[in-house]
Amino acid sequence: MSARVVIAEDAVLFRAGLTRLIEDHGHQVCAAVGDGGALLAAVAEHQPDVVVADIRMPPTHTDEGLRAALEIRRQHPRTGVLVLSQYIETKYTAKLLEGNAAGAGYLLKERVADVADFADALERVAAGGTALDPEVVGQLLRASRHADGLAALTARERHVLTLMAEGRSNAGIADALVVTGGTVEKHVASIFDKLGLPPDEADNRRVLAVLRYLGS
Amino acid sequence: MGLPVTRPAADPPPGGRARVSSPWAVACAALASPFTRREGRELLFCLAGLPFAVINPVALFVLTVDLTWLVAGSGRGNPSPAAIAFAAVGVGLLLVLLVSTGAARRLGSMQRVLATRLLGMRVAPPLSRRGLGGRAWPGPGPRDGAGWRVMAYLLAKLPVGLIELYAVFFWIGGLVNLSYPLWWGAFRNPPPGVRLSPVPVFTPFGWFGEGTFRVATLPGTFAAAAAGAAMLLAAPWVTRAVTSADAWLIRGLLGPGRLAQRVHDLELSRALAVDDSAALLRRLERDLHDGAQIRLATLAMNLGMAREKLGDDGAVPVPDAAAVRELVDDALRSAKDALGELRSLARGIHPPVLDNGLADALASLAADSAIPVDLEVSIPVRPTPAIETIAYFCAAELLANAAKHSFANRIAIRAAGQRDVLEFSVTDDGTGGADPARGTGLSGLAQRIAVVDGRLTIASPPGGPTKITAELPLRA
Repeated sequence: MSARVVIAEDAVLFRAGLTRLIEDHGHQVCAAVGDGGALLAAVAEHQPDVVVADIRMPPTHTDEGLRAALEIRRQHPRTGVLVLSQYIETKYTAKLLEGNAAGAGYLLKERVADVADFADALERVAAGGTALDPEVVGQLLRASRHADGLAALTARERHVLTLMAEGRSNAGIADALVVTGGTVEKHVASIFDKLGLPPDEADNRRVLAVLRYLGS
Repeated sequence: MGLPVTRPAADPPPGGRARVSSPWAVACAALASPFTRREGRELLFCLAGLPFAVINPVALFVLTVDLTWLVAGSGRGNPSPAAIAFAAVGVGLLLVLLVSTGAARRLGSMQRVLATRLLGMRVAPPLSRRGLGGRAWPGPGPRDGAGWRVMAYLLAKLPVGLIELYAVFFWIGGLVNLSYPLWWGAFRNPPPGVRLSPVPVFTPFGWFGEGTFRVATLPGTFAAAAAGAAMLLAAPWVTRAVTSADAWLIRGLLGPGRLAQRVHDLELSRALAVDDSAALLRRLERDLHDGAQIRLATLAMNLGMAREKLGDDGAVPVPDAAAVRELVDDALRSAKDALGELRSLARGIHPPVLDNGLADALASLAADSAIPVDLEVSIPVRPTPAIETIAYFCAAELLANAAKHSFANRIAIRAAGQRDVLEFSVTDDGTGGADPARGTGLSGLAQRIAVVDGRLTIASPPGGPTKITAELPLRA
């Protein structure tokens, strides 16, 4: 699948690298801009499949990337939004997903070093899926008040839960763990059973269910 | 506390702003002096202060004794001891009431407003009685030190106010004397044979009778006019002297007390220190985020892409060797940039050369400067590290300022340690006009210096030269 991408990142070298990486994976970069306002304009113009946006950009260097991303999610629901940042803030995750994990992603910038994983995440978000940084999931797991429920999981199931929360499909999880799809399905069923969650087939609704469980 | 930025300025003598030097100029200033605005305002201040001399513990006491004596003793004989005791207790209670209700503070603030409007002096109001963390006290209360100091001021105002009245007399008496020749012709034309009694002339030594003299003829009025002119010439100096004394009292008694002021100053400088370190940390985070961190992320991304191009199976030759080389080159460049930025960041936190002492550090600064620097350092006793750091960064910022704004050809840095004070100055022969009110650089420096009770003095007239002097304690 070839996706149409708009990039917003203020560091010039990183932006150039990102453009190259995405083009190397067979996608088309319609525009690469340096701030939130230009991002909104570029999205309105190109109607891309997915946007890759840095959270902290000029002029305020706070969270204009995130605000632009929320605006895009409101105005262009069919455009996926993958935000990048040098920090993970749990609050930003909640804002970004806000009841709908479809076509949303939040990754640490350094994840681009694992080029294949990053390209996979980008494609997932472009296709309406979810991509959350392992760090987001890790923070939620550490802070969760459901220590008892989580303690009931086996180490393997915990791993599967993490991958699921990152937004991966069963096939993706099977690839990552080098097991068959059937094994993953069994793990997933067991996890939902142990945590008392209603099973859900759609990947991004599954993410929300898990995040809600961890955050509640 | 304002920022401790001081500008060297001389208090102008009565009558003029310019410094007078020659005897002729002194004479001109003396002649012009009664007619300046400042003199007028001082005169007004002398008059306006009068009611304060009446609302006065002593005046109130005398009044109460007299009233009691009139009511109780019908004004016969001497006031009885009982009446005096009654008055003392009554006035004492009244004073406590004035202080407790905060009326005393209000009187003080009225006097401060007068001083600000008419004498142009700024006196900070006494600190309100609030505990730490905004915990309010229930009203000023009878133990309000500021209120009692207002009372002390009013007590002292009685004699000072009388002398101020005396200064007013100089003006009025002088004017009246000066006018004698003008109206003499109109009113003093008696028919022949009638003798009018001579008119009294005011002198600084009296109104009527003793200390005055009288004139009876037109030529005599010129003597009166001369006396008037002399009084008018002396009047500004008398006024200045007594208002200066009053200003001294106001500053001492109506401002914040010395200890309270010190506490206030310390609170402020502590807040500055906290703000400063928070700002420093924020800047560090920003520099890391926009500098080394993003460079390292780019580096990792380039390496990741290169690795992907190399393939998993270790195929030789590499299918796209040129692209891999380019990516590795980019990665290398990012790594070097990141190293450079980390180095300058680390140096900005603490320059290693500072470990060898301020002299070496300043020498290294001077060597790096784009404008030639004359350096003269004599610091026999080494200051504490905190002071050295502040001095170093101040010097660095002043040098950078000079390079950016002054268009100077030479800069001189002098640093001298004397007893407990480290004084260093940065002088340039540039265009001058450095102003702490514009831009944050100089006021930021002043803040940082204020934290250790230091002082920054800026002398930078338009056209230059600029000399900025910092005085720091040797230990902090």
